[in-house]
Formats: sequence, structure tokens, C-alpha cells
Amino acid sequence: MAKKNGEFLKKLLATFAVEAEEHLAAIAAGLLELEKAPEGERRKSLIETVFREAHSLKGAARAVNLTAIEALCQQAESVFVAMKRGELAPSPPLFDVLHAAVAALKRLAVAGGAASDSGEQSVLDALGRRLEAASKAAPTAKADAGPPMAGPAATEGETAPAGETTEGRPDASPVQAVPPEQPVLADTVRISTAKLDALFRQTEELVSAKLATAARAAQLREFSRALAARRKARETVRSQALGIQTALENCAESGLQGKIRLNLGKLLEFVEQENSALASLESRLAAAAAAAEQDSRVLGKAVDGLLEDAKKVLMLPIASLLDVFPALVRELARDRGKEAQLAVEGADIEIDRRILEEMKDPLIHLVRNCVDHGIEPPAERTRRNKPPCGTIALAVSRTDAGKAAIVVSDDGAGFDTARLRQAAQKLDLISAEEASRLGVEESLALAFRSGVSTSPIVTDLSGRGLGLAIVQEKVERLGGTVFVESRAGAGTTVRLVLPLTLSAFRGVVVRVNERLFVLPATGVERVARVEKEEIKTVENRETIQLNGRALSLARLRSVLGLPARSAQAASPGPEPFVLLAAGGERIAFLVDEVVGEQEVLVRGLGKQLLRVPNVAGAAMLGTGTPAPILSVPDLMKSAVRAAAPARPAAIAEAAETAKRSILVVEDSITARALLQNILEAAGYQVKTAVDGIDALTTLKTGEFDLVVSDVQMPRMDGFDLTARIRADRKLAELPVVLVTALESREDRERGIDVGANAYIVKSSFDQSNLLAVIRKLL
Amino acid sequence: MSVDWKEVRRRLTIAEAAIEGGWTPAPEEAKRILKERARALAREPERAEATGGSIEILEFRLAYENYGVESGFVQEVAPLKEFTPVPGTPPFILGIVNLRGRILSVVDLRPFFELPAKGLGDLNKVIVLHDGNLEFGILADAVAGVRSLALAAIQPSLPTLTGIREQYLKGVTPDRLVVLDGGKLLSDPNLIVREEPTP
Repeated sequence: MAKKNGEFLKKLLATFAVEAEEHLAAIAAGLLELEKAPEGERRKSLIETVFREAHSLKGAARAVNLTAIEALCQQAESVFVAMKRGELAPSPPLFDVLHAAVAALKRLAVAGGAASDSGEQSVLDALGRRLEAASKAAPTAKADAGPPMAGPAATEGETAPAGETTEGRPDASPVQAVPPEQPVLADTVRISTAKLDALFRQTEELVSAKLATAARAAQLREFSRALAARRKARETVRSQALGIQTALENCAESGLQGKIRLNLGKLLEFVEQENSALASLESRLAAAAAAAEQDSRVLGKAVDGLLEDAKKVLMLPIASLLDVFPALVRELARDRGKEAQLAVEGADIEIDRRILEEMKDPLIHLVRNCVDHGIEPPAERTRRNKPPCGTIALAVSRTDAGKAAIVVSDDGAGFDTARLRQAAQKLDLISAEEASRLGVEESLALAFRSGVSTSPIVTDLSGRGLGLAIVQEKVERLGGTVFVESRAGAGTTVRLVLPLTLSAFRGVVVRVNERLFVLPATGVERVARVEKEEIKTVENRETIQLNGRALSLARLRSVLGLPARSAQAASPGPEPFVLLAAGGERIAFLVDEVVGEQEVLVRGLGKQLLRVPNVAGAAMLGTGTPAPILSVPDLMKSAVRAAAPARPAAIAEAAETAKRSILVVEDSITARALLQNILEAAGYQVKTAVDGIDALTTLKTGEFDLVVSDVQMPRMDGFDLTARIRADRKLAELPVVLVTALESREDRERGIDVGANAYIVKSSFDQSNLLAVIRKLL
Repeated sequence: MSVDWKEVRRRLTIAEAAIEGGWTPAPEEAKRILKERARALAREPERAEATGGSIEILEFRLAYENYGVESGFVQEVAPLKEFTPVPGTPPFILGIVNLRGRILSVVDLRPFFELPAKGLGDLNKVIVLHDGNLEFGILADAVAGVRSLALAAIQPSLPTLTGIREQYLKGVTPDRLVVLDGGKLLSDPNLIVREEPTP
């Protein structure tokens, strides 16, 4: 029972925390407006609002027995009452105290209602005293500790939480009350974000079902085509048999021929039956494939629609993010001895909550920059014929392209481009000569380079030179863009363009060394091919030309540290590349193949792989196999570092024209990969099969010089495979090396009996031994 | 070949009766069976020795050696059909796999145990270890099963087992089963990959 009560209390406190946050946000906003409002009706109604909010918060705190919050609210309330009665005039010092009280209440609410340490406690005590002094300063203010007496607008029926009535009130004096809001039948409900997130995740999960269904449908269609392709072969067999029959009939009769004819008749009958059975299977498979495709389309549409609606549920007015900013600007400006006000516009525009969460820090950073670097001290501003109080504008609007534009601007000093160039020069990002050539725009771009700061001192606010680079990285990761505009002496404008919702992640799938990698489509500027002769080196770095501009060229293989594959020498013609762009720079990356662009489901790499260079996550492709998603900013950095001396492999490639080809047959994926790596490293061209049946099919499709096969495999084992190879006229001479876990003499003898050329036992497997055996056989 | 249809029908009838009758035992019979089962379940496991208790381990083979890990840390065992290598990870990370829609990283313990490069194991089983916080798979050649092991039978270690190998060891049994400490594996920061790109 005690546990149950504990849980109930926990729930109550959680509810209180949410409620407190709302009340405090309203008080903070009200105070800011109040400070600007001239005397009159507007001011009166604002005072009434903050008073009411403080009062509600007090009631809520009392209901959950958080006395520290209750007491502080009480003291703030007394001040508001005095203001209401006109006994206390608003003044900047008064607002300072009130803002400090709101901040303290926020801390208390977060900390669970009690001061976290003695330092905090003394801050609280001091605040309480200042509030009390402020309310007492009013000549006729009631400064008693009890709740304020009924004011002019008092009515009965207080809006207190349900808990209060059962708690029993500590004092029964009439309480300043507010008229209850008219109960309206709400068409909105309050749902915890955790529940919404869970729902959204499950919806997103359906994307993987959609992708898988599409992959299955494609597979079915492929099977159907493969079966149809055999139709001609079947027809040929049939007509050949018919031909034999006719030929036999033309010959003279004999007993022997009679028997042949009988058998031939049976064979023909069988072929006819098979043909019609296969034809029926073929049409049924084709119908099933078409149906599967139809289903996949329907499911795809349903999932896309559901996801689109689910995303709308996640949208919030940007006001929910901007609420903290006015207080932040005020606090920062006071701290810096400056005067600044914030003008917010378009706060009702709705944006995906996940984007808002991501944008919180970048926006705070930009606004801090405005206060710290942009707005000048009042004296300086007056000297420049500007109003002493600077203005920072945060304007949100929707662009024609269905995106959100957030413009953060100030009327301050603007960027000092000369200082920017100096800072960049100091960091060796540009040379002195380059610095002298840079125009305003190019100089401003330097501000986005990591480490460049114009601030001579590093403060807790800014000056570390990482800020803008991080802002840009975050915005670009969300699929947005950043522009900076600055006029010396007139101010700086930063324009962020962001998508309204996180769109489905689209990736460009590329193949390198037979592996698939996914590049975020937002980072891929274009995909094209380049002739080998067009690749030219500049200072030993490879470059290509695109639209009349030279571009750095990197090889994705070497940037990712994958082994060079001599097998690639065979690919003639132009080489495919992807042009990646991040942070204003562009580099072309050579790949083996660009598979295509597709929607992918993004996953993290798990808790063990917290940070892997160049890899941002994993994508679930339709087949269910994960593929690494590469990080474009990382790749750009790695490419600069990994720029290898150009084309060292060219000679080696030419030497290996006649490459020996080996088929590796092994059901264990790890052993298969190991064997493949060993053999490829030794210069062989390697194909793989997962069992005997697969191996026989593969052997028919290409030329092989040798087979390395496991023995124990499903469907067809290595002994059977060897026997089948020996029995096949074309393959009979193909050398077979059996690699097996079976160590007994009987097994070894059986291996030799079926015709294996070598028998290697896995427990004593050693790659040099395998290679020696292979060299001897080839 | 001729078929004795009479015989076939007779057997079918018997089988049918057995199917129908066999699944509805008489009440007393049912009671007896249940009692018997209850007694069997209530029986103390034989291996629980009075001295110091026992632990349950999952036994597996890796590179021709026998290993065990406390079954409490084992979430499941999955076959390894495919994996995706992740470039830029240390050699002990085999890659990632799709475990029912989740990404699971798979660790190859051989580099830690300095196991010889000789031999070609199957390595097609993944033992999923977890401790509520971290989760990853370890590669195994084969999984032998779960068994109970008396704590008294585990020797702390052997003097020749040193270095990283010793670090993850809970102990060794007389029959040379190496018992790994799942908790240590899961809490070792060296197994966490957190590598920034080199500037």
C-alpha cells in the first residue's frame, strides 16, 4: 500500500512539474511584456494574468506539499497584488527580482520542490526577503504572510487543483479568486509525448515492412521471368523428341526399334505433361507476382499516408521553442551591460517537434552571438546614432517551397570580416595572399569553419569558434541550409531554411568492394561518370573537371580504409562517382557502382558502436540486410586526410590480366568471408556459393579454375558436389579442394574416393597451407 | 506391389481410437499424471551442491576450445546468416546484423583471447549478451547447451593465463571449460567503440 501511495505521489509530482512549467512560462512572458507596456488597461490585464498564474501555481504546489515553491509564490503574489492596487510602480529593479524569482521557481520545480544545496537555499532566502521588501515598500500594501485579501475582482470559486479540497487548507481566510474559465468541450486532448513518440516509432517501423514487401514482389517477378525464360528450352526438347520419333517412323520396323519407340512415346508423353504443368505454374506464378506487386503498392501508399499523418501529429508551433528566448535575451544583455530586446514574429508556424528539439541549441547559440558580438554597448550605439536598446529579431515564415525560414537578425555592429580573415589565417586555413583576395561573402563563409572566432576572449557564451560550424552541421543534417549576411555597422542576419517535417530518409546506395553503402541523399549533389583519362593530378592529388570547375577527387574505397581490389582492373569505361557537399565544400568520390536512390529506414549502430568515423548509422534495405550509412561531413574530412598518392596500383593491375578464378563453397558466412579474403588477397578472382546445389548452378554460369568446398552443408554436401563435378563432362577435370571439419580417416578416404584433389582439415587450417595446395593444383 | 487394404484400414482405426482416447485420460489418471509432474518439478536439482551453490552457464565452442558464460547475461542465441562489416571499427568488431529489425553489433572474441589464426571455425552462431544497459553479440562456432556448474568447481584462473585473456575470465573448470565473466565483458569500456575521425 505504501508503495502504491509512493507511486501515486510520483505521478502527482510529474503532473505538477508539467503544470509548473506552463505557469512559469506564462509568468515570464507576462513579465517581459509588462515591462514594456505603458500604463493603462493593457498593463492592468497583464498584472492580472501574472497574478493569476502565480496564484494557480501556489495552489498546485500546496496540493503536492511543496512548501518552498508555495512560499515563494506567495511572496511573488504579494508583489503582484500591490502592483494591482497601484501601490507599487513597475521598475527595472523590481522586474529583476521578479525574473530571478521565476528562475528560482523553475529550478525548484525541476529539482523536485526543494533546494538542491545550502547555496541554493540561501539564494532562495535572499529572494524571499527581496520580494517581501518590495511588496512592503508599497505604502499601503498588505505585507502579511497570509494570502492577499479579496481584491476588487474577487469572486468565489477558485481554480485550484482537485487535490486541494481533500488536503484541507491550512488557512480558511477568503482567498483572492479568479473566475473559473468557461468549460469548453475540447477538440484537443493532451497526450504525453512519450506515447506519441512510441506510436510514431511503430508507424515508422511499417516502412521496413513496406520496403520488404517491395523487395519480395521484385523477387517473385524475377522468378516468374526466369521460369518463362526456360520455356523456349522446353519447347526445343519437345520438338527434338518429336523429330526423333518421326525419323524412327521413317525407318524400317524391327523389334528393337519397337521398344525404342515405346520408350520414346513415354518420354514424349512426359515432356508434354511437364510442359503443360510448367506452363500452368508459369502463369500462376506470373499472376502471384502481379498480385504481390499490387499488394506492395497498396501497402506502400497506406504506409506513406499513415506516416505523413503521424508526422503532422508531431508538429508543434515554433512558439513552444521560442518561449525561453525573451527571458534569455534580457538576462544575457543585463549580464553584458547591454540593452537588447527580442522581437518574435511568426511563432505560430508549426514544425516537427524533432526538428525543433534539434534547433534549440543552434538558435540559442545564434541569439547569444547577437548579444555577445552583435549588439554594441548603449554608449557606443548612441555614438553611432542608434537607439541605445538593440533589437534582435527572430522571424519565422514559410517559404514557397514548403519549408520554414528562421531569420535571426540584429541591428548591431555586423561581422568584422578583416578579423575573420585574420583568425582564419592564424589557423592556417587560408594563406595571407588568399586572405587579401577574399571578398565579403567569402570572408563570411570563414565564420563557419571550425575554430574561427573573432572574439579576442573566450567567454562562457561564445568565442570558441565552434558555434557557427556546429549550427551549420546541425542544420544541414536536418536537410536545411544556412546563409549569413552582414553589413559592417548595420547588423548581421542569419537565415536558416529548414524542412517542416523530417522527410523520409532517402539514400543513394553505392557499391564498393561488393559491399553496399548508403549516402544521405541530402549530401549528394550529383551522380555522374568520369573517363579514366579525365582524372588528372594536381600536386599529387587527383582531380576532375565538372562544369568548367576543378574538383577534388577521392576514392571511397581508400577513404573507408577498404582493401584495394585488383579485380576492379577489369571494369572498363568511365568510372562512376558521387559528388558530396557539406559545409560549403564539394568533393567527388569514386565508387564501384551507383546502385540507385531509395527510401531507407535509419537505425543507430547500437550502444556498443557509439561513434565510428565516417559512419553515421545503419540503413535497413528491403532485403533486411543492414548497410552502413556514411556521414558526409566525416567523409569530407577523411578525404582530405586520406588523399593518397595517385594511382599506385596501375602497374600491378596491368600485370594481372589472366586472373585465375576460384569458387568458394561454404555455408558459414564467416568462414566463407575468410576464405574469400584470403584468396582475393592472394590475387585470385573469387565467387562464392552457399551449398552444393548453389555451387553447381554457379559453375554452369561461368568459367572456374578451381573449387574450394566445405563438406558439411545443407541440401548438397561437399562429397556429393565433388562426385557431381567428376560426373559432369565439362567439369570433370576441375580441381576440387575439400576443407572440412571431418577429421577421420574414413572421411578422408571418402573424399579421395569421390575425386577430391586435396583434403584440408579445418582444425589445422592455415592460410599458407591452403595457398600452397592451390598453387600446386593450378 | 500389392497393398493389403484390410490391414491398412485396421491400423487406421486403431490409430484413430488411440488419438481420441489418448488425449482424454480418465479423471483419476489425469490426477495421477499431474501429481507425478508436480513431484518431478519439485525435485531438487541434483547438481546443486551444498557447498557454495552453483551457477548456470551457456556452454559454447570457439576456435576448438570450450567456453561458458553465465546464462543470466545471455538473451538469446541466433544463427548468423549474414553480417555487414562496418569500416573504421577495430578488428574485434565483426560487423552488424539485423536481429528482428534491431541492429546488433557482433564481437569476435578471438583477438582478445589471442587464439591462434590457425583453424577455420564455423563461427555461425551469435550469443546475444545483455545486462540491461549494453547489448552485443559474441561469435561462437557451436552452442553446446545450458548446464549448471558448482561454483566450487571453478578455479579462479591459471598462472599462465594473463593479459586481456585473464581480464574476462571468471575461472577455469577441471575439464578445461573457460568460464567468461559476462558482467566484465559488458562493462569493459575497451569494448565500446567511440572513435572520432582523425583530424
